[in-house]
Amino acid sequence: MGMLFSRLFASLFGDKEARILVLGLDNAGKTTILYRLQMGEVVSTVPTIGFNVETVQYNNIKFQVWDLGGQTSIRPYWRCYFPNTQAVIYVVDSSDTERLVTAKDEFHSILEEEELKGAVVLIYANKQDLPGALDDAAVTEALELHKIKSRQWAIFKTSAIKGEGLFEGLDWLSNTLKAGGR
Amino acid sequence: MSGHDSKYFSTTKKGEIPELKDELNSQYKDKKKDAVKKVIAAMTVGKDVSSLFTDVVNCMQTDNLELKKLVYLYLINYAKSQPDLAILAVNTFVKDSQDPNPLIRALAVRTMGCIRVDKITEYLCDPLQRCLKDDDPYVRKTAAICVAKLYDINAELVEDRGFLETLKDLISDSNPMVVANAVAALAEIQENSSRTIFEITSHTLFKLLAALNECTEWGQVFILDALSKYKASDARDAENIVERVTPRLQHANCAVVLSAVKVILQQMELITSTDVVRNLCKKMAPPLVTLLSAEPEIQYVALRNINLIVQRRPTILAHEIKVFFCKYNDPIYVKMEKLEIMIKLASDRNIDQVLLEFKEYATEVDVDFVRKAVRAIGRCAIKLERAAERCISVLLELIKIKVNYVVQEAIIVIKDIFRRYPNTYESIIATLCESLDTLDEPEAKASMIWIIGEYAERIDNADELLESFLETFPEEPAQVQLQLLTATVKLFLKKPTEGPQQMIQVVLNNATQETDNPDLRDRAYIYWRLLSTDPEAAKDVVLAEKPVISDDSNQLDPSLLDELLANIATLASVYHKPPDAFVSRVKPAVQRPEDEEEFPDGLDAGPSELSATETEINASPARGPSNVPHVPTKAVPTAAAPPPAPVPDLLGDLIGLDNALVPVDQPTVGSGPPLPVLLASSAGQGLQINGQLIRRDGQIFYSFKFENNSLTPLDGFMIQFNKNSFGLAAGGALQVPPLQPGSSANTLLPMVLFQNISPGPANTLLQVAVKNNQQPVWYFNDNVPFEVFFTEDGRMERATFLETWKSLPDSHEIVRDLPNSFISNMDATLEKLAGANLFFIAKRPLRDTNQEVIYFSAKLPRNIPILVEITVLVGRPGVKCAIKTPNPDMGPLFFEALEALLK
Repeated sequence: MGMLFSRLFASLFGDKEARILVLGLDNAGKTTILYRLQMGEVVSTVPTIGFNVETVQYNNIKFQVWDLGGQTSIRPYWRCYFPNTQAVIYVVDSSDTERLVTAKDEFHSILEEEELKGAVVLIYANKQDLPGALDDAAVTEALELHKIKSRQWAIFKTSAIKGEGLFEGLDWLSNTLKAGGR
Repeated sequence: MSGHDSKYFSTTKKGEIPELKDELNSQYKDKKKDAVKKVIAAMTVGKDVSSLFTDVVNCMQTDNLELKKLVYLYLINYAKSQPDLAILAVNTFVKDSQDPNPLIRALAVRTMGCIRVDKITEYLCDPLQRCLKDDDPYVRKTAAICVAKLYDINAELVEDRGFLETLKDLISDSNPMVVANAVAALAEIQENSSRTIFEITSHTLFKLLAALNECTEWGQVFILDALSKYKASDARDAENIVERVTPRLQHANCAVVLSAVKVILQQMELITSTDVVRNLCKKMAPPLVTLLSAEPEIQYVALRNINLIVQRRPTILAHEIKVFFCKYNDPIYVKMEKLEIMIKLASDRNIDQVLLEFKEYATEVDVDFVRKAVRAIGRCAIKLERAAERCISVLLELIKIKVNYVVQEAIIVIKDIFRRYPNTYESIIATLCESLDTLDEPEAKASMIWIIGEYAERIDNADELLESFLETFPEEPAQVQLQLLTATVKLFLKKPTEGPQQMIQVVLNNATQETDNPDLRDRAYIYWRLLSTDPEAAKDVVLAEKPVISDDSNQLDPSLLDELLANIATLASVYHKPPDAFVSRVKPAVQRPEDEEEFPDGLDAGPSELSATETEINASPARGPSNVPHVPTKAVPTAAAPPPAPVPDLLGDLIGLDNALVPVDQPTVGSGPPLPVLLASSAGQGLQINGQLIRRDGQIFYSFKFENNSLTPLDGFMIQFNKNSFGLAAGGALQVPPLQPGSSANTLLPMVLFQNISPGPANTLLQVAVKNNQQPVWYFNDNVPFEVFFTEDGRMERATFLETWKSLPDSHEIVRDLPNSFISNMDATLEKLAGANLFFIAKRPLRDTNQEVIYFSAKLPRNIPILVEITVLVGRPGVKCAIKTPNPDMGPLFFEALEALLK
């Protein structure tokens, strides 16, 4: 049975790695999430001027995860990474209510990109450990996720520091990708 | 069919770049690495692969060192062309600078220093800071050099982040290579900074001396160069240093040897004990001699340095003159330098040997070398009194060979010998006179004539000899003419007989009336007046005793020698020029950004107020009359303070410029198309003059732009015009401020007409002469655009036009076809012509053709009308033009101008 599945995956992905972009405003927790997923521990980070790329193996799928810097000066270069992307993990600082509007605008402009038309979207409502953090419903509202049409998406409450919610999200992602995306 | 053929238009073949792009994004590591290699290969052969920037940078985060190095290589090359995208690499640098592998840390910090992109330098400071304090010496030494590189990009940042202090701490590092690199970086930074950043203290001195013995050869060079700048506190200190440095003289690397020599020479100045100095001199000789057995190029460098060394310390190599004897297969540049050093080392003890060498050289084939050898003999004669006679006998032997250039060169040096030892060797004059006919070089001729004049009383046929030269007096070069003049006067004073008297008459006549050389003329007048007022006084002056000369040719000024000795083993010691004479710092040290804004032309911040005002006016010439920028601001220092608006008037009044000439609302000088070049920078020793005659508000101006591309400031500009068909001349003084190197000035010179009219048929040639205080007079030609003469009041009523046309006889009508002219848009053309003061009168279509006939009027100064009839088919080339004017010889010029206007 296991043999059968792995053959099935191979036919779906080959031995390809799934290319995943981690995007979001600066200080949303992207780099922390990346290394929490990869090493399972919290590393101290500095603002990412540029990118980090790591390979994460989960649920028999290899994810090539690109964590891109979220600062205003780097956001224009996100588009350099769009081609051939299977999924986008959009990280939102749920406690930073002031910048949710900016987060929403950036998010929707990403969705309009032609090159990301086929990518599934996973939203992490991060920093749930902080007081005053909005829950997933509020974030869904703030990001106007209901406007997303013709694309699979999901939102998870996460705390990268505590390691909560991250792998649930990844479960959804791997299942969705296994099921053929879209 | 049609449905299938479209496939031929879409190709499955992609270009090289998209193919590479695909491979770079491949998930297979091998394929990726191969792709990066291909990219580097393409980059190396000069293909532009900068468009792959992000794709290559994305390969940067890898654990494969080879791949990482390749990406870094790519970054160094292309970061500058993709400054925005370079930011994507920053995070990887930050990560790599913390990599567990010290090689990667060092690689990262080295590459960071090579990426000269302003936007990212700031992000690189933290990694650099970490690497400077790294545990691994290899990383520290690499980081040290990186600080110097960063200083070149952003000096302020380096100082703010305290890197200089960290660097100074590294001098005390435990690893000698780190010390050497820290010293190298500090020395480099010091050279780019005006304040003292790096000074060796007694504490650091000890560290440097300790590191000296342990670091690599080039590290040693850095440390030695730094040590040579250290001012020892006393003789003991100096001796100490020398003692530690002396072992370096044995090093196999020439650079180490020369740098060690430099340090020892510098410190020797302080050492008082003669024993110690003598000992040191002894120790320095063998390594210097060893340098001469290296390749010719290194020999040359060594010789140029030795040339300096023996000028200060001749004793070092006094006994080694034999190593400077030329070998037959030495390249000529080595031979020449050896000769120079041989002269410097020649002494009573070795002169016989040296003379034998020189004599042999004088029979070789290379003319320049032979000449230099002959001259060397003469210089030795002047230098060594006791050997003078032997030198002269060698020279006489050489003269007997009768090789033309040897004889001439010998005569030149013998003249100097006569000057040095008057009344000693005159017996040889007879021998010299035998070769009189062979002399054809000015210097040799002048020397011989000087000898004849000086010893006229001892040469029986001096008058005959001089007379033979006099026949060709007018054709001789100035040098010979001057000597002939003086020699004839001497002859006359010594033998005031009839023959010389006639000669002097001829010479003085020639030199005062037939020549345009002011030097010759002035000297002749002085002699003339002296002779006619008081012949005795003339004797006192002309035949006065001359001061004794010494051989100081090729001897450097002591202060320059000091500076060059401090720069031994650098280019300065090879050129024998101070470094600032040939190295210009591209970036002036620590410049504040506001400075850069204020001095766009790179004007040096001199007396700041003055320069500021000058540039302020230059930068916004629209504020006032265009002549303001070239008003020498120095004349009106008061104008610097008040707000700019009233300045122009004030300046105008101060320098007495008539405002009617230059109305205040006039547009700027600099506007409009660039002025044509009149004097190219290459022809004017760096001075470039652009200019054109223009008409503005009823006045003719010469619009000039003066640009100083030379290395010296130029001032005192004056201008003059040759006679020309229109009598154009300057209507005022040329107002050009002193031009600093690299600066330029625009000026409008008002012109007047009918001043010096040249006869003959009218033409547009204008010959201009411009001079300044630093350069010779520059002459150049310009063409006068005829339309500048059309006056503003040239408009005529139709009736007047008809009347004038009829009143002029047919002989005054000239017709010309202008095949290259054409009118594509009637209205635009009319407007353009009106702008040039050619006024439209009427237009009528020509029957049976589509052609049109247009009538214009124009007026030249002094009320000379020009009536114009143009027949043209709009849109087709070819214009027929007929004009009627009382002054028909202006016709050709008019057509020329019209052709230019209807292009």
